Amino acid sequence: MSETSTPRRDPEELHRTLDEVWANPRGFRALTVVNHTTLGLRFMITGLVFFLIGGVLAMLIRAQLALPDQDFLSPDLYNQVMTMHGTVMMFLFAIPMLEGLAIYMVPKMIGARDLVCPRLTAFGYFCYLFGGIIIISSLLLEIAPESGWFLYTPLSSSEFSPGPGSDFWLLGVTFVEISAMAAGVELVVGILRTRTQGMSLTRMPLFVWYILVMAFMIVMGFPPLILASILLELERAVGMPFFVVEAGGDPVLWQHLFWLFGHPDVYIIFLPAAGIVSTLIPVFAGRPIVGYSWVVAAVILTGFVSFGLWVHHMFTVGIPQLAQTFFSAASMLVAIPTAIQIFAWLATLWLGKPRMTLPMLWILGFLIIFVIGGLTGVMLALVPFNWQVHDTHFVVAHLHYVVVGGMLFPLVAGAYYWMPLLSGRLPSERLGRWGFWLTFLGFNLTFLVMHWTGLLGMPRRVYTYDTTMGWDLFNLISSVGGFILSVGIAMVIVDFALHFRFGRRSPRNPWHADTLEWANTMPPTNYNLVSLPAVHSRHPLWDDPDLPRSTSAGEHGLAGTTFGRREMWGSDPLTGQVREVVHVPTNSWWPVSAAAALAVVCVSLLARVYVVAGLATLVAVVVLLYWSWENGAHPRASASDEVAPGDPPLHSRTLDGPGRWGMGIGLLANGALFLSLLFGWFYLWTVSPQWQMPDASPLSLPLLLAGGVVLTAAALWLERLVRGLRRGHDRGLAFGLYGTAALGALQLVLLVVLLRQAELAPTASAHDAVVTVALIYGLIHSGLATVLVLLQGRRVGYGYVSARLPYEPLVVVQLWRYHLGVYWVLVAAFWLLPTLMGGSA
Amino acid sequence: MVKSIRQRPLAWAAPLGLGLAGCAGDTSILDPAGPAARDVALVWWGMLAFFTLVFVALVVLWLYTFRGGSRPERSAEDERRIGRHWILGGGILLPGVTIVVLLAWGVPAGQHMLPLPIGKPPMVIEVVGHQWWWEVRYPDAEGGEVVTANQLVMPVGEPVDFHVTGADVIHAFWIPRLGGKIDMIPGRINRIRLEAEVPGVFGAQCAEFCGAQHANMRLHVEAMPREEVEAWLAARRPEPAPTPEHAEAREHFREHCADCHRVAGVSEGDVGPDLSDIGVRATLGAGVMAMQEGAIADWLRHHQAYKPGNRMPAHDDIDAETLEAIGAWLETLQP
Repeated sequence: MSETSTPRRDPEELHRTLDEVWANPRGFRALTVVNHTTLGLRFMITGLVFFLIGGVLAMLIRAQLALPDQDFLSPDLYNQVMTMHGTVMMFLFAIPMLEGLAIYMVPKMIGARDLVCPRLTAFGYFCYLFGGIIIISSLLLEIAPESGWFLYTPLSSSEFSPGPGSDFWLLGVTFVEISAMAAGVELVVGILRTRTQGMSLTRMPLFVWYILVMAFMIVMGFPPLILASILLELERAVGMPFFVVEAGGDPVLWQHLFWLFGHPDVYIIFLPAAGIVSTLIPVFAGRPIVGYSWVVAAVILTGFVSFGLWVHHMFTVGIPQLAQTFFSAASMLVAIPTAIQIFAWLATLWLGKPRMTLPMLWILGFLIIFVIGGLTGVMLALVPFNWQVHDTHFVVAHLHYVVVGGMLFPLVAGAYYWMPLLSGRLPSERLGRWGFWLTFLGFNLTFLVMHWTGLLGMPRRVYTYDTTMGWDLFNLISSVGGFILSVGIAMVIVDFALHFRFGRRSPRNPWHADTLEWANTMPPTNYNLVSLPAVHSRHPLWDDPDLPRSTSAGEHGLAGTTFGRREMWGSDPLTGQVREVVHVPTNSWWPVSAAAALAVVCVSLLARVYVVAGLATLVAVVVLLYWSWENGAHPRASASDEVAPGDPPLHSRTLDGPGRWGMGIGLLANGALFLSLLFGWFYLWTVSPQWQMPDASPLSLPLLLAGGVVLTAAALWLERLVRGLRRGHDRGLAFGLYGTAALGALQLVLLVVLLRQAELAPTASAHDAVVTVALIYGLIHSGLATVLVLLQGRRVGYGYVSARLPYEPLVVVQLWRYHLGVYWVLVAAFWLLPTLMGGSA
Repeated sequence: MVKSIRQRPLAWAAPLGLGLAGCAGDTSILDPAGPAARDVALVWWGMLAFFTLVFVALVVLWLYTFRGGSRPERSAEDERRIGRHWILGGGILLPGVTIVVLLAWGVPAGQHMLPLPIGKPPMVIEVVGHQWWWEVRYPDAEGGEVVTANQLVMPVGEPVDFHVTGADVIHAFWIPRLGGKIDMIPGRINRIRLEAEVPGVFGAQCAEFCGAQHANMRLHVEAMPREEVEAWLAARRPEPAPTPEHAEAREHFREHCADCHRVAGVSEGDVGPDLSDIGVRATLGAGVMAMQEGAIADWLRHHQAYKPGNRMPAHDDIDAETLEAIGAWLETLQP
């Protein structure tokens, strides 16, 4: 390690050499930027714009409901506004905003220079931006989705929502979710594999723990909704009746898949915000958090439990009593990890000397509002009470207490806390306090009263109400409160906007914080730290307040850059011991091109111009493959494998670079998608009221087995090649890779034959529709696995893959293992089980 | 529009928890009129009281930590012990005990609403949700099924089983003063048991978002003694003899309306609400207008303005006189 061996060099010169490599291009080429600092800011600024749009929509809702019998908005427009308020706030503000914060902050906190797949960050950003623009455009065209942000079928089906509104939602939101998946995968890999020397898991800042769990939850939690969206869009566009009772489908399946995503989503939003709270409280209490391990355990537990609660959104659909009681108890149990965190914070304040700074004021607001939301949440988890207040304004009040209290207040606290890092300046204390009190009072005026409105029987999502109902006064109070709330938020935004120009200059580390992001210059450079320090505890800046200077002076690892690469540490996931030098890709047109191609796919699907959609898909695939081509040992990724004396090898020259982890986490997401499909299959089979199962499986067993044998042979061959590479020899590597590809292609053909021979009627029965989707899922994987291994064969020819460069086949082999497993599970679930159980209606 | 001003004493104080049940309209779950709703209301007040206590204690503690002055010097061991006590006590014990008590006390509150077998099988009323009106059927009525729309009559003082489903999209059946709600899902039949302890009129409104006119899908629920219900049903059984007057209006109705609407003895349409006794219903358009003289003709002319997007086509092609004749005839329809 170069930790001590690096000779002192001139800080200015170090900065110059690093800046040359890490600089962002300007003008038109700014579209090629991949740097996490820049993209994190872009995420957050874009999120802010969508937040303002969502806020205006909320004000329209409150204006309409301020008085009874209003006709400020037509019913149609009100339903669009109500649907879009939820959609924008959830998908275009809350999730991307927190992803943006994590993308910006995590590498700085773990002593990395970027996220490990920077081009993926850029790709994710453009998917978010383009998807968001597509969704918002529907509102401007007045053809926005109008069946609620949860898009329950059959209301959202082509029969009851014939316009393109639902399509905008399904395609646009799925497009945006690609960005969440990208962020989820790379945050997991970045956190696990690129922490600085000595930052073991137990020394990781709590915020990073929260983000790690959130990222895993995104990876596992979004696929059910992606699958549901694909199925519903297929139903709307092609007529595959997954949710149509008469054809054997079931509208309740949509609700299960939606809330399988939807409930974890609440915690995906809450956890990063709680991470902010866990970061700020120790800093302002001037002591380490009490019960670090308790908090970490609570966060992990929350992540797990949140996947077992989704049915509490569906207590009134008529689910069996016992199951309801189970989900009721599980929903209440989540109060325990939450209470552990709250009492850990309280104990930290108790044992410390807390200062009531502006960020802490917002944390106090968080505590008051979130605790109320949590307590009404426990009430709602009680089934009999839920039956009464479900779908009333009581729930509207509860959910706003949870998400505004649990997400927005900590977010603003975090913004006040980290703003000096971003800008080098301090916001105005006075404007900030006014903003807080107006927001806090306005919020409670709006939503505390709304509990009562709900108890008086006012249902959600009504565009009007009659004066005889006795809801007038409370709605008026809520509307007045809503406008006070928006004035408060406007003041906060003005405060931030003004401080960039008029704010006082902030000293380095103005809050005396303990975490590494404050070792950065203010504002930070593109490469973060000039040299990467080793850490010896959870509080590197309390241990060594001199770090801001010594890192800039190049006194630590990987100081400057010698080989013109973008470099950082790759470390052991558990201990944080450095084991590779990770070189990350530089600015590129590929991400924005791929996202643009996908945007064309999305728009042409909306316009139902399927030829263009097909062509654009092809373009997107080609772009993505070219993008993947310039990786690993490709000269554009890293021309030489030289490293400074004493440094570990480049990750692309080892057996276990971050790319392997990326593939692994990506497959985890893929597996969640596949499990959701299996869930849908078994759910319809066992629960759907008019499920029709043919007497014999339509799938030909000989073809299934033939395909399976070919695939197994190919996968085993690839395993053999990989074993050889691990042992350091590459005899017959190219031949073997091409051979595997040939077998993969043969299996693909067999699968196509199987699909054609099965004579499925996917538009007539839900059974055939699900089988078709499952087979197409298999087909896509056959194609992808074949193409990737074929490209590996080519790369052997180019000299990018060899015994000396064994890394890439180790990445690709994981996809093959996955594909093989999925194939046999498909055979078991779609042929074996139906055959064993006997076809019955 | 239905207009009647009710007194709301102390309405301003209600959000503070000072207003007592019964101060609001006829859909307040805090003004229970049946055993199920009463149990739930009781659970609510209990939870509110206890959780308010927890909340206030927590906030006071939190603020207290910001007090000035010096803190006692504590050893690291002491600090660890104190921290552990806080986390075990507040983080595990407090919510753990609360959850157990809440489940043990709260879950039985729902028993009343479960359609469990009881000695004498309760009366069954089938309710079907349509965009945006209610179809109500009495399958066991003596002398044959009785069908009506947007009004529901039930016996007081005995449990009633409601079998509900949706005809098009998902709706939800909910009579707040009697008890919880249940979704009306196409292709399924959900059951809930409710009982009214006092006679009276109760408000009800669709609770699951069901499209453009979700807000205007109200149901007029009336609880009355069993004999009156029987009489009410009996009155709707025989085919009413067509009145000799209005013969022309009936012909217009057959021409323009009969494909969708049923009027006993006149037409058998089943797309829209049954109109056989519309003359005595309290409201029109599932609660959009109060029924009064001339209201039906008014509705027929302007219904797309009163209830925009409703599934009945605008009647621009029918002249005003015809509509008035049809309206006048329909107002005479009563059991």
